[in-house]
Amino acid sequence: MENVKSIKTEIVVLGAGPGGYAAAFYAADKGKKVIMVEQEKRLGGVCLNRGCIPSKAYLHAAKLVAEAEESSIRGIHFAKPRIDLNEMRAWKETILDKLAGGITGLAKRRNVEVMQGRGYFEDSTTLRVETSGGQQFITFDQAIIAVGSKAAMPGAFDLGNPRVMTSTEALELEEIPKDLLVVGGGYIGMELGTVYATLGSSTVVVEALDGILAGADPDLARPVAQRAAKLFREIRVKTKVVKMATAGKQIKVNLEVNGEKKEELYDRVLVSVGRVPNCADLGLENTRVQRDEKGFITVDDHQRTADPSIFAIGDVAGGVLLAHKASKEARIAVEVITGEMSTSDDIIIPAVVFTDPELAWCGLTESEAKQKGINVEVSKFPWSASGRALSFDRTDGMTKLVIDPESERILGVGIVGSGAGELIGEGVLAIEMGATAKDLAESVHPHPTLSETLSECAEAFYGYATNTYSRKKTTTEQ
Amino acid sequence: MDVRLPRLGEGADSGVIATVFVKVGDLVKKDQPVLEIESEKAVATIPAPAAGTVTKILVKEGEEIKVGGLILVLSENGAGAAAASAPPHAIDASVGDDADEHPSIDVQVPPPAPQPAAPAAPVASGPLPAGQSGFPVVHPASAPPPASPSLRKIARELGIDLYRVPGSERGGRIVMSDLRAYVQKIQKLALEGRPPVPPAVSVPGVKPTPVSIDFAQWGPVTKQKMSILRKSISRKMVESWSTVPHIAQFEEVDVTDLLALRKKYAAPYQAKNAHLTLTSFALRAVVAALKKHPSFNASIDEAAGEIVLKNYYNIGVAVDTEQGLIVPVLREVDKKSIFQLSAELAALAERTRARKVALEEMQGGTFTISNQGGIGGAYFTPIVNTPEVAILGMGRGVVKPVVEEGKIVQRTMMPIVLSYDHRVNDGANAARFIVDLVKEFGNIKDADVKI
Repeated sequence: MENVKSIKTEIVVLGAGPGGYAAAFYAADKGKKVIMVEQEKRLGGVCLNRGCIPSKAYLHAAKLVAEAEESSIRGIHFAKPRIDLNEMRAWKETILDKLAGGITGLAKRRNVEVMQGRGYFEDSTTLRVETSGGQQFITFDQAIIAVGSKAAMPGAFDLGNPRVMTSTEALELEEIPKDLLVVGGGYIGMELGTVYATLGSSTVVVEALDGILAGADPDLARPVAQRAAKLFREIRVKTKVVKMATAGKQIKVNLEVNGEKKEELYDRVLVSVGRVPNCADLGLENTRVQRDEKGFITVDDHQRTADPSIFAIGDVAGGVLLAHKASKEARIAVEVITGEMSTSDDIIIPAVVFTDPELAWCGLTESEAKQKGINVEVSKFPWSASGRALSFDRTDGMTKLVIDPESERILGVGIVGSGAGELIGEGVLAIEMGATAKDLAESVHPHPTLSETLSECAEAFYGYATNTYSRKKTTTEQ
Repeated sequence: MDVRLPRLGEGADSGVIATVFVKVGDLVKKDQPVLEIESEKAVATIPAPAAGTVTKILVKEGEEIKVGGLILVLSENGAGAAAASAPPHAIDASVGDDADEHPSIDVQVPPPAPQPAAPAAPVASGPLPAGQSGFPVVHPASAPPPASPSLRKIARELGIDLYRVPGSERGGRIVMSDLRAYVQKIQKLALEGRPPVPPAVSVPGVKPTPVSIDFAQWGPVTKQKMSILRKSISRKMVESWSTVPHIAQFEEVDVTDLLALRKKYAAPYQAKNAHLTLTSFALRAVVAALKKHPSFNASIDEAAGEIVLKNYYNIGVAVDTEQGLIVPVLREVDKKSIFQLSAELAALAERTRARKVALEEMQGGTFTISNQGGIGGAYFTPIVNTPEVAILGMGRGVVKPVVEEGKIVQRTMMPIVLSYDHRVNDGANAARFIVDLVKEFGNIKDADVKI
């Protein structure tokens, strides 16, 4: 160490995903000298390389196939599509390259130094980076750890057989297996299951709990489950995978369905049972950083770890594992470093599942209110009453507001339906601004759009939505 | 399902469990009362938020509990106790995250830490910045304070607890002007070096540390625990007595004609569950007099150095209950007929005696009437019900010889007394007020009373 000259910087950011580059850029914008360390060649982290972006590209392709198929009712008849996986993969890569190139360019313009290599904490103020050109030592005032998470592969399923995939391998789209098993009916399983099923795999989803997409209100998850029931060969809930074994070119899977044992053969298996933090080999033991029993770095509501010079953001800091949560935490960490009073205490993190139909929610859910004993009123607007939804034959949607009956404040918004992810932003704004149902009802929404379902839903709360009929609300109640 | 103590009303953030109506294993319907809680002024029943079986009771009678505190656990519809006690894992854990869906039991992978998407906002974590503890929490703790993110950030920087800042916009939304007003108020109070509501007992010099005297040394005694209501009355009276310079202005009102009206209409009123009493007439007369003398329908804002004249007329009526004095408030008295007022008052008094009035129903009064006539009292000087500035006491009417146009006639004369806050009104104002009040009693005619 003595013979290597160390580089001094104010802030070092470890990881260049949606948390890391957001933190590095924001810190640079606030006048800090920043080095961003990333072990991969292409910046962008899981989100860009193996998560949000590639999965959405494939889901778009899948949607195109599904819509072409369904267009026959409109008198438009397409032949069965010919799918070239090499071309599709290459198309996806161009998107990722474009985005990653954008990040690199933005880093350059901000004078954020990007160092490619593995980072390892020597102590609370020194990071050693293994670059292709040898070791570099960075001494920093503050470090922000944003190394993310990776798909979990339970030991029992890890056969060393490429036919058992996590989301990472599934997104490489090597082939369209004839029979695919998806283990885990969470959002990753359901999204990637949708891609493969639409491209032609006979897909079975198994879920240990008694419903798919746990965390979402059951009435919102229902339209997703209903359409998936047609697209997939089967969705089995309360089902456990007991064992997997290689059987020639297939995988033999032992299942327990409602206590009943089954043995089945699949060409490929996608394991989507959760994600684990990338905390190994970071040298955290040389710092005062603490981790919880699940391995995530513990932070306070200012993103501070137990080590005063080290912050952690995004997946590695636990909580909900979502890119936009990481980006928000990046802002909080940088603001705290630059002396602002920022906290993650009361921020609203929206969740979007990009299935078909999409499912999105933010704030308080109906189930959560029930469980916590919070008195709320719920207003629902079915998309069958939306002209816009009818115009493209997708009335399998619903918009729902969770409202505080006393102040009429909007506490939660849930949307299921085509494009729900694009609509939920208004819900986030409404909740963050402390808007009431009246505010939403009185804001004019353009016609004919799906956004009207939000204002109509608010109107339905008062009993006067134009396009649905609900019992008149007596304002003197209670 | 966890059942927690809901918000009881403005300013009341705790109470004492008076009665628990249910026991473990009981099947309850939605809205069925599960317990009774006694807060500062009222006993409120807490209804079950949903139907189900009581699987756990976490409170005991006599125990103090805060708003949001866990009362009992309910397992909904048929689901057994086991189901209710299972951790609500799935709901909490996986907001947008496929954690916890382990299909196999022998998975060694740790699932991502379950964390609710929006952490329950603490009302105030850590010490509250100076000068705020006297301001009541006005927004429910179940959601972040209703304000924009940018305003929340400014409040954080200023060390302001937004839960205590009243919002002027729809739904109690706090905007910049609300925050500014709140900060100015705190600053002003800080400069004056006193809390916003003088906690009567801690005003230096007013009350020494209480010392128990052993009265039993002079003879046998019986000890009674002071109820919350008694303590609350005690505190309130000390506060009023020690801050308000009281003056009492006496008068007599000729109620002979009013009693005749009362006799005429008592039965038809009663048939409609309304109770025609001299208080009904007094409500009408008082509002008419207050309209002419707005400084008696007022409050004093010492912090701002302002007298606040109220353009609404909510009249408190002292009700004698078994447990002690309670003053529920009749709203918009100026907009109601004598019949309406009589009906409302009858219902309100009955609910008050049953201690079923909500805290809100005892707030927002602008003037108070205390009628002892029914009991037989004659002359007394009531204490101003702060933050109001005046109170009317009524005694029992007595038939007296009165000189009218040179002749001695028999009239029923009712003693009345106006106690008022000399900080706001002087003796001359009070004399003018009471003269007009007597006139207004005389202005009530048959047509006003007819249903």
